[in-house]
Amino acid sequence: MGTTAAPTTPFVPAQRRIGSIAAERRWAMIGAYIALAVFVIFFMTPPFHMLMTSLKSSGEIADLSGNPWIVRNPTLQNYWELLTQGNYMIHFRNSIIVTLSTVIISMVVSTMAAFALARMKFWGSATLATGVFLTYLVPETLLFIPMFQIVGSMGLYNNLLAMVLIFPTLTVPFCTWIMIGYFASIPKELDEAALIDGASHIQMLWKIFIPVALPGILAAMIFAFTVSWAAFIYPMAFLVSSDQMVLTVGIVSDLIRADTFQWGKIMAGALMAALPPLLVYAFLMDYYIAGLTAGATKG
Amino acid sequence: MSQAVISPASAVPQRQGAMRRLARRNSTTAFLLTLPLILLILGLVVYPFLYALYLSMLNKRQTRFIGIENFTFLFSRETFWNVVFQSVVFAVSAVLLKALIGFVLAHVLHALPAKGQRKWRGMLLVPWVIPPAISTLAWWWLFDPSYSAFNWALAGIGVDPVPWLGATGWARFSVILVNVWYGAPFFMIMYLAALKSVPDQLYEAAAIDGASAWQKLRFVTFPMMRNIISITVLFSLIVTFANFDIVRILTNGGPQDSTHVFATYAFQVGIQSGDIPLGASVSLFMFPLLAVFAVLTLRGVNKRTKEMS
Amino acid sequence: MEGNGFTRRTVLRAGVAGAAASALPLVNVHGQTSGGRLALGLWDHWVPAGNDAMRKIVMDWGQKNKVEIQLDFITTVGNKNLLTLAAEAQAKQGHDVLSFPTWEVHAQSELLEPMDDVMTRLAEKYGKVNSIVEYLAKVEGKWRAVPAISGSQNKPSLGRIDLLKQHGGIDIQQMFPANDTAANVDAWTWDAFIKAAEGCHKAGVPFGLPLGTFPDATDWVGSMFRSFGAELVNAKGEITAKSDKVRAVLDYAQRLCQFMPADVFSWDDASNNRALISGKSALIFNPPSAWAVAKRDAPQVAEQCWTFPAPTGAAGRFTPYLPYFWGVWNFSRNKGAAKALVEYLSQREQAQTMVAATNGYDIPPFTSMTDFDTWQKEGPPTGVVYNYPVRPHHKAEQFIADYPAPPNIAVQMYNQGIQAKMIARAVQNKEPVERTIAWASSELEGFQRG
Repeated sequence: MGTTAAPTTPFVPAQRRIGSIAAERRWAMIGAYIALAVFVIFFMTPPFHMLMTSLKSSGEIADLSGNPWIVRNPTLQNYWELLTQGNYMIHFRNSIIVTLSTVIISMVVSTMAAFALARMKFWGSATLATGVFLTYLVPETLLFIPMFQIVGSMGLYNNLLAMVLIFPTLTVPFCTWIMIGYFASIPKELDEAALIDGASHIQMLWKIFIPVALPGILAAMIFAFTVSWAAFIYPMAFLVSSDQMVLTVGIVSDLIRADTFQWGKIMAGALMAALPPLLVYAFLMDYYIAGLTAGATKG
Repeated sequence: MSQAVISPASAVPQRQGAMRRLARRNSTTAFLLTLPLILLILGLVVYPFLYALYLSMLNKRQTRFIGIENFTFLFSRETFWNVVFQSVVFAVSAVLLKALIGFVLAHVLHALPAKGQRKWRGMLLVPWVIPPAISTLAWWWLFDPSYSAFNWALAGIGVDPVPWLGATGWARFSVILVNVWYGAPFFMIMYLAALKSVPDQLYEAAAIDGASAWQKLRFVTFPMMRNIISITVLFSLIVTFANFDIVRILTNGGPQDSTHVFATYAFQVGIQSGDIPLGASVSLFMFPLLAVFAVLTLRGVNKRTKEMS
Repeated sequence: MEGNGFTRRTVLRAGVAGAAASALPLVNVHGQTSGGRLALGLWDHWVPAGNDAMRKIVMDWGQKNKVEIQLDFITTVGNKNLLTLAAEAQAKQGHDVLSFPTWEVHAQSELLEPMDDVMTRLAEKYGKVNSIVEYLAKVEGKWRAVPAISGSQNKPSLGRIDLLKQHGGIDIQQMFPANDTAANVDAWTWDAFIKAAEGCHKAGVPFGLPLGTFPDATDWVGSMFRSFGAELVNAKGEITAKSDKVRAVLDYAQRLCQFMPADVFSWDDASNNRALISGKSALIFNPPSAWAVAKRDAPQVAEQCWTFPAPTGAAGRFTPYLPYFWGVWNFSRNKGAAKALVEYLSQREQAQTMVAATNGYDIPPFTSMTDFDTWQKEGPPTGVVYNYPVRPHHKAEQFIADYPAPPNIAVQMYNQGIQAKMIARAVQNKEPVERTIAWASSELEGFQRG
């Protein structure tokens, strides 16, 4: 966009040239905003429709005579009922427990591993680094059957804790990769110097790598948060009692009665479920981007 | 950083001794540090994977070992090859579109003034933060034959209702559309992060050399972003190949199995029709398909990383 | 009492015998343990009040018998119930009693406690169960589960009185009134059906008959095939798809599809409900849940709803039927109590409570239990579900798609919706019937594999 102006520039006086660059910039900006607007509309259409639906009574949802994109008699009934009746709040709490635990476990495991893999070359370290990523090749839909036995033998079937055990398999590999990249970008002189000062590896990790690599760790953290918040197949397979369920499976199992969908509540539940990750992103986005940067280009 | 204040006066011999001691301690510590990761992968990925491999070689009732019979059976079925074809179409086209949209959006966002950026970024991230199992339900509601709000809008401009999920072509379009909608923001933030890491000096230098916008993209941005593009594409390709929720909720593989992907087909065969070993075989088929691609990509990434450092 | 033709004496005797029989296992429980614990995973009822009623019955029993109860309702959404079954079968732990849908009793029969004693006592009291239930739950001569009085459902026609009269030219209330005096049931044939479908299609309220791979589609298509005498696989497991009857039913289905919405091939179990509730459709095949939702969200539609049997064909009338079963895992640690509870739940009183609580949704497996007055009284319109249970004057049988193929083949035919796919191929791909049959035969060969 706007590049067509470029070939003509050498032939015009400096004054004009600056003007045309400015014009080019302006056109580029307009193009950018148009592209943005198009995609924002594409991205926001379903959420907007969800919001509208969540404000409707079930009668209004079933009524075909009006415009489905707007709400005629807005009501907060759906939200109110979710918050005060049924198990939605329990599911929300469970989701928070599972997600926070998963994030902590993922961070501990992947930080330690990434540090070792980035800094201490040992036998098989390169294979391990690649192999970690390859674990994603084994799909959840294949793993959950054998997982029934593992989880069962630990007595964790139909138990929230099983999720804390399993979710790290979804998060740790990618987190480790982000962090390997980030750690690799820390100048080697720093740790050599620390070692000479008599610091142990653990001290080095704790006192140098973690503070320096904090943006990378935050980036990994947000990733882990999003993934475990949204996980669906494992909770669907392993959690049966309503008081053990997390949000994703709770919404599906409590608000749908086979061929009867409580659309208003489903939408309200989904929008409220989107809030925690949205808040996390809002507050940590800049770190996230900074963190991915280092991890990505070097990793 | 303050902890990193280290005396620069360390003598050379002392330094060498430290390095030797380091080497000895190195592998034990490294092993201990990676132990949780190794245990996690061995216990919850490798072991179940091997077990699934074993399962895939049993007969339907899991009473008899039948070797690769499940696979040879699958290879003889037309439906299975359709599933392979559809999975590839679904994953490749969805990932390409996601990568493209993510790339465009990241560039556009990057060009915005810093203060406006956050607001736009926030809106563009929304699809990525709603749990996909539930946002897919919302899409499904938009596609519903009786209640489709899309068809309502189309009727407003005089277009006939579209069978979003009812005809093969439209159904494939719809499942890809929903996957792109959900996954594009992830590409966007990954690319945006990479863009931010390209030093401004490189662009300035390119500008002085008289590079066009395309040339800047081609010779500055793209090489700097290659690794992140590879990793993101690889990750997304794997996850999209294994995708379950979207197809399951929108079409359940229909009409006429024309939108089945590996995961949904495996589910139908394994859980619904009670042939778990056959279901496992379907799921396993993904593995070699992607493993080659993954190893090549990761090797490329590692090579470039080494060149860079 | 006059209605069911028992004399006072036999009823009394049956009552005493029944009481004795039902008391027997309970006494055992008392003697055996102080009750212990029992974990139940029951079918999550589609009518919300169903869960509450079931919970109350189960909890009261638990209290009386000093059994500590853990009760989960497991939804069929996302096949969560199947996942749960697979999980517990693999892990060999979980609940003591689970609800087993259609085919799962056969699939898990090795892990299920025989229920012959319970079934014998129940049959003595309430008479025979229907043959479909026997086909699904009796494995190698042994009952592996008990047909559940709750959750089992029929999927007969559920149509709009006004639209069918106006555009379809049939008066369904006159054909199937809310009593047994109907003389006109033979007029409700597949030919009458297609005529009505054509009229309603022209009026813009087409029949909403799903043709995807979800149960609602499989169930009505299965009954239609059977009604034409079209069988794809016989009881011995031989492929019999190449027959004139199969050609006839495919030909009929092709004609019928002209009068249906173009996207029925991807409809799921909820699409047909919505078509009815939105007022866009004159007829669907469904349990009364669609009507119950309409009563809440679209009362003007609900008032015009009427349930009546499936049409009849050359080989008879077959009402789609989807039964559930209660099974006890053989790794359960409290089998005695589990079986006692299952038997208690299967009694007439409990069935009556559940039918009443679910607006008549539940269909008990015993024909002797189709006389509850809920089906008479429910409304508006009063009598909307009178013809929901199969009544003698319907001249109909309850039917599960793909019967009588051996269950290990039938389960695949059922879940992959092979009959609906045959129709889809013929209609959507405009494939010659012979090619469709050849394709189906090759698929069936795949299913035959053990």
